[in-house]
Amino acid sequence: MAWLVVRLAISVSLLYTASAVFEDQVGKFDWRQQFIGKVRFALFDTHSQASKKLLVATDKNVFASLNSRTGDLFWRHVDKIGPEGHIDALLMYGQDAVVVTGNGRLLRSWETTVGGLKWETVLDTGRLFMLFCVNIRINWCIKLTVSTFDHSFQAAALVGVQDFVKYVAVLKKSAISLHDLSSGSQIWVENLPDSDTVQYQTIYSGGNGLVFVFGVVPNSHIVIVEYKIEDGEIMRKKSVEAAWMSSLESSCTVISSGILLCVDQITQSLYTLQLQSAEQTEIRQIHLQTLDLEVASGFQPVLTSTQPNPAQPPLSEFFLQLSPDHHILLQLKDGLIAPLRDFNPSYLAAFATSGERTVAAVMSPKNDTACSINLFSADTGRRHLDTTIIYHMDPNGGKPNRLYVHAFLKKDDSVGYRVMVQTEDLTLTFLQQPGRVVWVREEALADVVTMEMVDLPFTGTQAELEGEFGKKADGLLPMVLKRLSSQFILLQAWLAHLWKLFYDARKPRSSVKNEVTIDTLSRDEFNLQKMMVMVTASGKLFGIDSKSGTILWKQYLENIQPDSVFKLIVQRTTAHFPHPPQCTLLIKNKDTGLGNLYVFNPIFGKKSQISVPALPRPVLQTLLLPVIDQDYAKVLLLIDDQYKVTAFPSTKNVLQQLQDTASSIFFYLVDSSQGKLSGFRLRKDLSTELIWEVVIPTEVQKIVAIKGKRANEHVHSQGRVMGDRSVLYKYLNPNLLAVITESTDTHQERSFVGIFLIDGVTGRIVHEAVQRKARGPVHFVHSENWMVYVYWNSKFRRNEFSVLELFEGAELYNSTVFSSLDRPHPPQVLQQSYIFPAPISTLEATLTEKGITSRHLLVGLPSGNILSLPKMFLDPRRPEVVSEQSREENLIPYAPEMPIREEWFINYNQTVSRIRGIHTAPSGLESTCLVVAYGLDIYQTRVFPSKQFDVLKDDYDYVLISSVLFGLFFATMISKRLAEVKLLNRAWR
Amino acid sequence: MQQMKRLLVVYVALQALFALSWCFSDAEPGPAAGSQSNGDRFKIEGRAIVPGVKTQDWISTARILVEGEEYVGFLKTDGSFAVNDVPSGSYVVEIVSPSFRFDPVRVDITSKGKMRARLVNYIKTSEVIRQPYPLQIRSSGPHTYFMKRETWGWTDFLMNPMVMMMVLPLLIIVLLPKVVNTNDPEMRKEMEQSMNMLNPNPELPDVSEFMTKLFSKGSSKSSGGNKGSRSVAPKRSDTMCTSRPAQGGDVDPNSVSYTYLK
Repeated sequence: MAWLVVRLAISVSLLYTASAVFEDQVGKFDWRQQFIGKVRFALFDTHSQASKKLLVATDKNVFASLNSRTGDLFWRHVDKIGPEGHIDALLMYGQDAVVVTGNGRLLRSWETTVGGLKWETVLDTGRLFMLFCVNIRINWCIKLTVSTFDHSFQAAALVGVQDFVKYVAVLKKSAISLHDLSSGSQIWVENLPDSDTVQYQTIYSGGNGLVFVFGVVPNSHIVIVEYKIEDGEIMRKKSVEAAWMSSLESSCTVISSGILLCVDQITQSLYTLQLQSAEQTEIRQIHLQTLDLEVASGFQPVLTSTQPNPAQPPLSEFFLQLSPDHHILLQLKDGLIAPLRDFNPSYLAAFATSGERTVAAVMSPKNDTACSINLFSADTGRRHLDTTIIYHMDPNGGKPNRLYVHAFLKKDDSVGYRVMVQTEDLTLTFLQQPGRVVWVREEALADVVTMEMVDLPFTGTQAELEGEFGKKADGLLPMVLKRLSSQFILLQAWLAHLWKLFYDARKPRSSVKNEVTIDTLSRDEFNLQKMMVMVTASGKLFGIDSKSGTILWKQYLENIQPDSVFKLIVQRTTAHFPHPPQCTLLIKNKDTGLGNLYVFNPIFGKKSQISVPALPRPVLQTLLLPVIDQDYAKVLLLIDDQYKVTAFPSTKNVLQQLQDTASSIFFYLVDSSQGKLSGFRLRKDLSTELIWEVVIPTEVQKIVAIKGKRANEHVHSQGRVMGDRSVLYKYLNPNLLAVITESTDTHQERSFVGIFLIDGVTGRIVHEAVQRKARGPVHFVHSENWMVYVYWNSKFRRNEFSVLELFEGAELYNSTVFSSLDRPHPPQVLQQSYIFPAPISTLEATLTEKGITSRHLLVGLPSGNILSLPKMFLDPRRPEVVSEQSREENLIPYAPEMPIREEWFINYNQTVSRIRGIHTAPSGLESTCLVVAYGLDIYQTRVFPSKQFDVLKDDYDYVLISSVLFGLFFATMISKRLAEVKLLNRAWR
Repeated sequence: MQQMKRLLVVYVALQALFALSWCFSDAEPGPAAGSQSNGDRFKIEGRAIVPGVKTQDWISTARILVEGEEYVGFLKTDGSFAVNDVPSGSYVVEIVSPSFRFDPVRVDITSKGKMRARLVNYIKTSEVIRQPYPLQIRSSGPHTYFMKRETWGWTDFLMNPMVMMMVLPLLIIVLLPKVVNTNDPEMRKEMEQSMNMLNPNPELPDVSEFMTKLFSKGSSKSSGGNKGSRSVAPKRSDTMCTSRPAQGGDVDPNSVSYTYLK
């Protein structure tokens, strides 16, 4: 019965708090973009002429099929993060794609039209070794299982027999296995001889019933082992002296009918070796000089050959790359190597095959901004006529670094082709003749690190209006005149708008496109459209229109270390016309800690001309002060490892202001390796003094996260009205820091999660809580007077939410201003925990302009959905027993399990893979919060936590209202007339 | 000691043979029930069924998630799945698909690799309600992501309390004079009495009456020019109608004189 009451109460409360999507709102204000990441393997489906499939495997452990005509995804499979989902190789034959995953752990075959798995096999060679040795000698065997535990993946190849590809061979560090392509079953697995000394690296099969495995003992010799396909018997094993050889992988390839070809930079030579002939045991050396070639110093030359059909030997033509921009096409004929064509300069070269014809595409620089791609026939090196594709390089992008060619036969039997170019900044451009860009994908966006939402600037008229309020009075008459003139401007703009509407209405709908360009950008009346400034891990910055998802500007920052730390700071918003808005990006090297600043205009993406302070020492902390300089830019303080402070901008005005306010500027530093939190105060000379220090012993627990409150957050009400009409005042400490620790002991009985609430000014620990039998990862939100955190309960194996709320009590200590230094009473802390019946990826809270709207928590789930959970459910005052007062307060009775309803998924079926962060920003409407979720995908939407109370709803029934109005109007007219007639008649009576 | 060693050796050999047999059954295509021991890692197997929908329509967007994203599996073209390399423990296995809803299942794997599937119960975590293993997960239908719009219907309109409040008095106004004969003098007397009851203090001017008089004066002045003297009589009855609507739509000339006499 009690349960029923609870249920009822919940369902009643839901009526008020539900913020769901209606079906007709789909795509109205939300959009999603799906990404795949940096392409490592790309294969065009050449099986049939009409096929549009492009299979890609990326460094984000994604295997996907793209539509090569549009660039859209047909399907996409997202594997586990980390090395266990790493895609090692992608091979394609017919309709099937074979993928080796997890450092040679799994072999998967995909049906590429449907996107389903055909079969999956565990390549568990380590265990199989043992059974082979069991037959031989047992004592040796035990040793071997240990030593062969390391079976890292080396290579994989399709193996064909008699023009028909039937098998796939996988080479690992110490074993080779052969699998059937149709079922995945293992045909045989063989231990590689002397695998502890020989590094086996590549594999080759030419369709003659043999599989060759190449290994190298660095600076000594090459080992070639020949296996019979049927049963894995070693046919021949030979070792060839090669003292110059260090690695096979990039410098060796097999060409023609079984000739191993290697290149070496130091000896400046090519080496060839017949694989099948028993007599040749010496490697043949050909000096590059004899071919009039020279490898650029310090450059590792690269050989590229092509094997169009795995069941047939490769072609005898190959590319040799001599320097970053020099390729040469060579041919091996009758044991002699002859150059076919020299491409100098050339950036990239690739082979492609269509039917029986193999072509080579070469990209060479044309001028500073463009490259030309030309097609050459592989066997002669002759240029195909009219095959030039002009590729325009993005001036704000990186250099091209990969070229994928899709060749096809045209109706007149000539070879046509399309190319996909990948650049350093992870842009994929698909081009066709004569240089038309078919589609572009910005794959850098698959790894967004941080983002901000910046208001769009005013248009000229809007700025004019704003300016009117900015200036102080010049007298009554000028002000009236100004008012009138600005109203006139508004009228003009409105008329122009009407005229445009009328003009557009006459045109067919398809031709009317509201193209968003950087020039037409302006703030809408509710400030719902903003500029999303996104920083990606590759160092590319994007400016995206939040309404449509169009990329308005992009800027690639070169020379960014791969795992740098980024921090994006908005120093000046668009509010200070005519000063342009200003964003500062702090790029910090993870290892050295050295940082540098990049200042840019977030609306146009242009680099700002402002001089940036040099940061010679590692930056520990940044601090954005509310202090503004004469140009309305907020002051950024950077603290280095000697606790010296650098101000940016550091004009005289700023320094003066800093001196005046120095005594009230505090900051904190965290050293998680020593478990030390320390607080500092700024001195007048921009040095600092240590005020407090809290040490959390690292033997027991380590600091994993620390968060303050968001600076742009507003709290509307100071307290909560209770059922008995008294007020419970909130403890609103803006300096409060939430520190999360995790125990170093990971045993499930002894592990714990610690929560500390520390005042950032005084270092006083306001509250401390320990969650026993819990472990991370901890996700948490710290806002207003509450903090919500999620942890894993290792005893009950479930996720639990816990909420902490801080109250001052029935009286405010100092209602006018909050000071951390003068707080004699500790706050009352209320806490409650709940079961959350799903795993969690990320957690964030909604944010609105004035903080009147009720808050919701946005929970990113691994399934890709974003749950909008009312904060009402996370209220530590939820009573266990319902009373009159709690009902009056609208408190939901306590229930241990948190409900998850599908209607609360704000992104319906537009799931966001690997959701990593949610960014919330207020809009001009109090009811509306803008939400951007990013991970592998980007999803933007609006949420209305308390429904749309300040605008007419979408389903507002204009027809009904107007028909009722007109109906009533006509009814009164008619009845008036009737009454008149009647009265007239009566008067005559 | 020697015996111990031999025992160990035999044990290892047996273990290895065991592994061999498992590995061979692993290599065989087709539904291999049970778990395959890979070191101390196991395999969770099962099948997902969406009734009435072809597998190729939904499998490319679906994934198997074991304990969040800790272990990931993919669906085969026939709807079956296997998640490899899962160590022993207790896991929640979930099929996530943007279009169809599947209920999660908890799978327990012992250190020897024995598997058991049961219903997920986060409150009573030790409760066991067995589910079939290998897993048979049947979809309970498409997701209901969207709220229903409140559609406008005649019944909603009529059942609206405001409308009810308006319609019922209207009915009374129309029907009551038909039922009660107002020409009956007795009845009229009774009504007059009730009127007096309503107006307990006859000296006190009725506000509505005062207002109507005020406005009718103004309007009669303005309309008087247009319609001449004859329009005075209708105007009077007009005021009557507005001031005493409760008495009935059918205006009685007698009652008009009554009001003016007062």
